[in-house]
Amino acid sequence: MLLLDAIFIGLLEASPLILAAMGFTLIYYLNGFMNIAYAESVTFGAYFAILFNVVLGMHFYTAILPSMLMSGVLSVAVYYAIFRPALNRGVGPTEMIILSVGVSFMLRYGLILVVGPENLFLNEPNISYLRLGWMGATNLQLIALGLVVLTAGILYWMIYNTGLGEQMRGLANNHDLAMASGINPHRTSIAIWFIAGCAGGLSGVFSGVFAQVTPYMGWNIILITMLVTIVAGIGSVRGAAVAAVVAGILTAFITLVTKPLYAEVVLLMAFIGVLTFRGARTA
Amino acid sequence: MDYLIFSLSLMLIYIGLAQLLHVQFGMTGIPNFGVVGFWGLGLYGTGVLYVTYAVPLLPAIVLASVLSGVVAYVLAYLVLQRSGQAILAATLALAAVISTLVVTEKQLTGGVKGLGMISFPFPELGSRNVVYFIFLVIVVAVLIWGSAKLRDSRLGRQLIAIRDNEELAASLGKDTAGVKRMTFVVTCALMAALGGMTAPLHQFLVPYHLAPSLTFAVWIALVLGGKSHSLGALIGVFATFGLFDILIETYAPVPTEQAILLPNFKLFCYGLLLVLIIMFRPSGMLGEDGPRVRARPRPTPTPGAAVREG
Repeated sequence: MLLLDAIFIGLLEASPLILAAMGFTLIYYLNGFMNIAYAESVTFGAYFAILFNVVLGMHFYTAILPSMLMSGVLSVAVYYAIFRPALNRGVGPTEMIILSVGVSFMLRYGLILVVGPENLFLNEPNISYLRLGWMGATNLQLIALGLVVLTAGILYWMIYNTGLGEQMRGLANNHDLAMASGINPHRTSIAIWFIAGCAGGLSGVFSGVFAQVTPYMGWNIILITMLVTIVAGIGSVRGAAVAAVVAGILTAFITLVTKPLYAEVVLLMAFIGVLTFRGARTA
Repeated sequence: MDYLIFSLSLMLIYIGLAQLLHVQFGMTGIPNFGVVGFWGLGLYGTGVLYVTYAVPLLPAIVLASVLSGVVAYVLAYLVLQRSGQAILAATLALAAVISTLVVTEKQLTGGVKGLGMISFPFPELGSRNVVYFIFLVIVVAVLIWGSAKLRDSRLGRQLIAIRDNEELAASLGKDTAGVKRMTFVVTCALMAALGGMTAPLHQFLVPYHLAPSLTFAVWIALVLGGKSHSLGALIGVFATFGLFDILIETYAPVPTEQAILLPNFKLFCYGLLLVLIIMFRPSGMLGEDGPRVRARPRPTPTPGAAVREG
């Protein structure tokens, strides 16, 4: 029973993480660096939801789509303004990470300067508590889970079954060969950064509605997202989804048997342990 | 005046940390994103030994540094031979683990309520904060001098070889893994020693001190100043912490309503500076110094170069 509870709670809690990990992995796979500024796709997704839902007064469910799209547009804009020129200049992978930390700071603290550091709340739709056998969940959680599974499924299908996915995999594996075979790297990159931004935005909307919207919300999940991505193997979107689910279930399980704060400690230590075996060797 | 000395002392700690990071990243190429973790282990290790177990300050700092060195050794053993991105994530994770443990282990660290008081050494002296400041100046000067010496030594050249091409260095028969691990352990222990030295400055320790922003402040300073230059850390910390935290926050006439936004504005500027420097001058303001950038030895080498080469 404990295990089933952990799986169920873990899935509900991990749903934003699954999307974030998949989006993060897409960029990591395509451009070969860990984009810390992806945290801001998540944060801005939630703040766009605040804009549409609270400021403009749209219904929560109708606000999801524009928030997601805006987050995707922001992601493409950042790519065009900063990351593409940097990649063209031949900045190395570690320097790209430092650069993305800088971008993340700029976006996050720029956001705080504009909207203020206060925590905000989304106007949630009517929440009702449903019982499913011995387990309980709110309708919102179930809808979120459904949407996440749907989005994750679409992403998965797109990467492994469509032309865009094939182009992306081609570019990631051998950039020159892909270009020689007529793949337009700009178009593919824009599409991937847009999709990754949308996934991050959706993730942010759900983390925001489950708790609250803060300027640090993306930052708080980026560490777990990074570890999930590395452990899953470079650029395996399949692996990222599985690792995110496992991480969610593991956290829920440890939280049920010990104090919640220890769950994070154990999870991070477990990740460091796994890195020992899964991280690519240097020499 | 006391506050200015506190700020300047803290700035020296930052310079020291950035200098050690210069050895780790600028010379050896280890991307340590857990600076605050090792520093914090030293800070809280010293605090716990001093407050809870009444160990005098100096032995407490030494013990905490040794503890941090052991932690660094275990981490190095686990991930140091993995890719840079794995090291980066693992060190970041370790720092998160340490800051969480400081909150959970209340009986040792006081949890969120805090831990105190830790006073300056030598109670018989007057104006101890000034004496301590001078002590920190000496520590930082030794660190800078030491890392410049290291760069010109055989070991330093080996570290630079590891950074540039580890396989090549290993193929020349160098024990690259061992050298890297030893460098990492020693520099992390020194970071912890600096953490221990921070304890009397803060006097009262709270988990907030272990926020990851310290890691990024040190990184930004180093990258800005020049990660592979012996004076990069110094210049970088002057240009970030010195300019924003000391000059602007203390002396700029900012109205009170805007004053609360000032730290956010500072971090926004740090981000902007970091982006500009990586885009337009990736080697930092000072660029790179040391033997590596010198031209190939000419047939008739200059006397100065001959001495340095030997």
